[in-house]
Amino acid sequence: MSQDSHQESFIKKYIFSQDHKVIGIQYGLLSLFFLLFGFFLMMIMRWQLAYPDQVIPIIGPLMFENGILSPDMYNSFGAMHGTIMIFLGVVPIVVGAFGNYLVPLQIGAPDMAFPKLNMVSFWSYFIGGFVMMYGFVLPGGAANSGWTSYPPLSDLATAGQTVWLIGMVFLITSSLLGSMNIIVTIVQLRVKGLTYMKLPLFVWSQLVTSFLLVLAFPPLEAAAVFQLMDRLAGTSFFLPTGLIHGGAIVDVAGGGSPILWQHLFWFLAHPEVYVLILPAMGVVCEIIANNTRKPIWNYKTMVYSLIFLGFMSFAVWAHHMFQTGMGQGMSAFFQITTMIISVPSVVILSGLFITLWGGRIRFNTPMLFALAFLPMFGIGGLTGLPLGLAPSDIPLHDTYYVIGHFHYVVAPGTIFAIFAGIYFWFPKVTGKQLNETLGKIHFWFSFVFMNGIFMPMFLQGIAGVSRRLADGGTTYAHAANTIHYNEFMSWSAWCLGLAQLPFIINMIMTLIRKRKDKVDPNPWKATTIEWTDTTSPPLGHGNFDTVPSVYRGPYEYSVPGESEEFTPQSKKDVNSENK
Amino acid sequence: MSHDNIQDHIKVYRNIFLALLTFTVLTVAISYVHFDLVWVGILVGLLIAGIKGYLVAANFMHLNNEKKMIYWILILTASFLVLLFFMPTLWDNNIAHSETTVLFDDPGGREYLEKSSH
Amino acid sequence: MQIPYNEKLRPDTGLYNAKLGIWLFLASEIMLFGGLFSAYVLLRSSNADFMMHQHYLNVPLATLNTIILITSSVTMVMAWVSLKLNDLKKYKLYMLLTLLCSVGFLIVKFFEYSAKFEHHLYPSTDNFLGTYFTLTGLHGLHIIGGMVVMIYLVGPGVKMWETNKERFTNRVEVIGLYWHFVDLVWIFLFPALYLL
Repeated sequence: MSQDSHQESFIKKYIFSQDHKVIGIQYGLLSLFFLLFGFFLMMIMRWQLAYPDQVIPIIGPLMFENGILSPDMYNSFGAMHGTIMIFLGVVPIVVGAFGNYLVPLQIGAPDMAFPKLNMVSFWSYFIGGFVMMYGFVLPGGAANSGWTSYPPLSDLATAGQTVWLIGMVFLITSSLLGSMNIIVTIVQLRVKGLTYMKLPLFVWSQLVTSFLLVLAFPPLEAAAVFQLMDRLAGTSFFLPTGLIHGGAIVDVAGGGSPILWQHLFWFLAHPEVYVLILPAMGVVCEIIANNTRKPIWNYKTMVYSLIFLGFMSFAVWAHHMFQTGMGQGMSAFFQITTMIISVPSVVILSGLFITLWGGRIRFNTPMLFALAFLPMFGIGGLTGLPLGLAPSDIPLHDTYYVIGHFHYVVAPGTIFAIFAGIYFWFPKVTGKQLNETLGKIHFWFSFVFMNGIFMPMFLQGIAGVSRRLADGGTTYAHAANTIHYNEFMSWSAWCLGLAQLPFIINMIMTLIRKRKDKVDPNPWKATTIEWTDTTSPPLGHGNFDTVPSVYRGPYEYSVPGESEEFTPQSKKDVNSENK
Repeated sequence: MSHDNIQDHIKVYRNIFLALLTFTVLTVAISYVHFDLVWVGILVGLLIAGIKGYLVAANFMHLNNEKKMIYWILILTASFLVLLFFMPTLWDNNIAHSETTVLFDDPGGREYLEKSSH
Repeated sequence: MQIPYNEKLRPDTGLYNAKLGIWLFLASEIMLFGGLFSAYVLLRSSNADFMMHQHYLNVPLATLNTIILITSSVTMVMAWVSLKLNDLKKYKLYMLLTLLCSVGFLIVKFFEYSAKFEHHLYPSTDNFLGTYFTLTGLHGLHIIGGMVVMIYLVGPGVKMWETNKERFTNRVEVIGLYWHFVDLVWIFLFPALYLL
């Protein structure tokens, strides 16, 4: 195992690698880059919102005509911010990076089930990202029809949209291959004794997420193919008869339905929301159990809630479409399913809160991020309830309220869980622990400024400010009373950008710092086998010196009668013969 | 699998092949029959396709004798497929070819509407 | 590095890795074609003139193609059976027959398409023809994808038979499952587009 790793060339070992750990790191670095890039787009947009039509300092004259972000560019940046954050940032980092790196280690597998396929899915993601970015240099700029790409707007948009669709096909392929790989790995490669009900919750969340990806992405692929045909072959799947654009009837056969796109799109995109949040919940479960030194409250309930959440997420998509005139019967059905799906989310969140009860909590950086996840996700979830009911959705639809709602779920929710995960598993990946002081600075400033950006959005949204205004609402009557929030929100956003500097510095400093003393392979005193049984970090080519066996559940902390405060999953139970 | 067993399989495959050919001819023949009710013709056509599909899936893809895991995956897929398939067709507002549609923020569109209303 | 259960069956699931993998892939394919068919149903049910151009489609040629695909499914399953009977020669024969069938299918398809273009019937003509070209085109891409794998498995890939018989047989079973699925899609496409 170890001798062949020396013979591999650099390219085979680090670039076209088939090792799940290297691929996981590749995914991680690339998606962190995309997250930063998407954030950068947003920071420029926030300038335009706070100071409409004023020259952007420093970068404005370099990047734009007149130094101003034009409304067209604003649209394009908005569309690309959404696309990049979701499809190139968060999904690849939670499934590609965390899933790839940790799932095989947590279940005791030597690698993913299909290492070659794993490599293909990373490079497919890379190409997809590259193709998307290529849109920026095309005439007319990148896609500018929103991340939802609603036709007929998107059918008639500039060439950037075609590139967006082709990029999506690559990204979908990448996600499909990656998630199939994860499912097969979890089902087929668990070590002896690791039954389904002994899996760490992170692995469970990855399993459910992967099923969502496998079954929800293909309809979007179908839709992307249709839209490509509309744009390239002149079909009119999404173009109705008699559509008028630029003062003339659009020259197509017509007879299509824009609603059809919305169906196929949201059939993916609602489960996609859970793709974004479930792995985050998994990460938070691991960290909370570890740092409260307590078992997760009612493990089985959590597992069933995760499964139920995944299942139900396929039956709620039309709550994004209440305004399409779906009729009362359909509307009632989707309102009911939407209310039902909030139940398991509440169960999971409550379970995590109950886990905190009476624990001896260690407030280290990963735990702070994980703790912040709970109320932030709670706010995101609760503000979603009015959007799930048609009567209150109609006035709130397409306002800043919606933006505030889903950003609370994804930004301080999932992104905080991602940070928590990075701080938590960094010692596993590199063998070095990130600096706690810098970590805490990173946390507190991020926490404050995150809320500074998104909390005022609820107020603006309730006032009725549309989310699509490039000038921040200066010409919009509804915005008159809330427009002054824009400046505060924008400054929060830029400060949030600054608050990421300690994180980046921390990573680089820790990586270049040399350490002579022997590394603690299990710095958090955790129980799962990725900490207790792998070869000491940084991991080489093989994962385990000897293949471990599992005898107990994942969260046996502070078990009465045990000699140590934590009982590793692989510790043989002396009394287990009788059970 | 023993050799005798395989010989049986080959026999089954041959029979399925003949059945599939028969059904193909049948479905083409029926398409030339005129039904007074259009949906009867559609139903018969789908029924035959369903039988053919079943024969392929059950025998060539060995679904008549597969492991539990595979069945679970397919049941899950089928249930989502049902949602995907039937929900959109229940929509009240599917008429895509009704009137003129104007892109909301298109100045040319507004002009066109004004002209046509005079 | 050796991944467990590449050729042996895992006791509790009774499956080898690739079989679970291909069924998951087929599940996603079901959802892909489900999305396409669902779109077809929605467009058709919302437009009374949707089937206006159906009579231009060539039913005899499509029937011929159906028969070709069914035949290829049988030869594919026979190729796998031959491996089970340890008969590599017959396997190669059946595999080549399957490839021949798929080439035949594509040739017929080519004539169908070019006949449409000659009559100035394009995807942009109306939504029925758009659906026809998109669905059959995507199905054709699946055929080509399957052919690439088959060429590998009768060509360079056949070396594995010498070193790892079980795994090679598994590979043939997996491509077989994919191929039958492509056949299955056609079984539904044929009546949906040409007949009903």
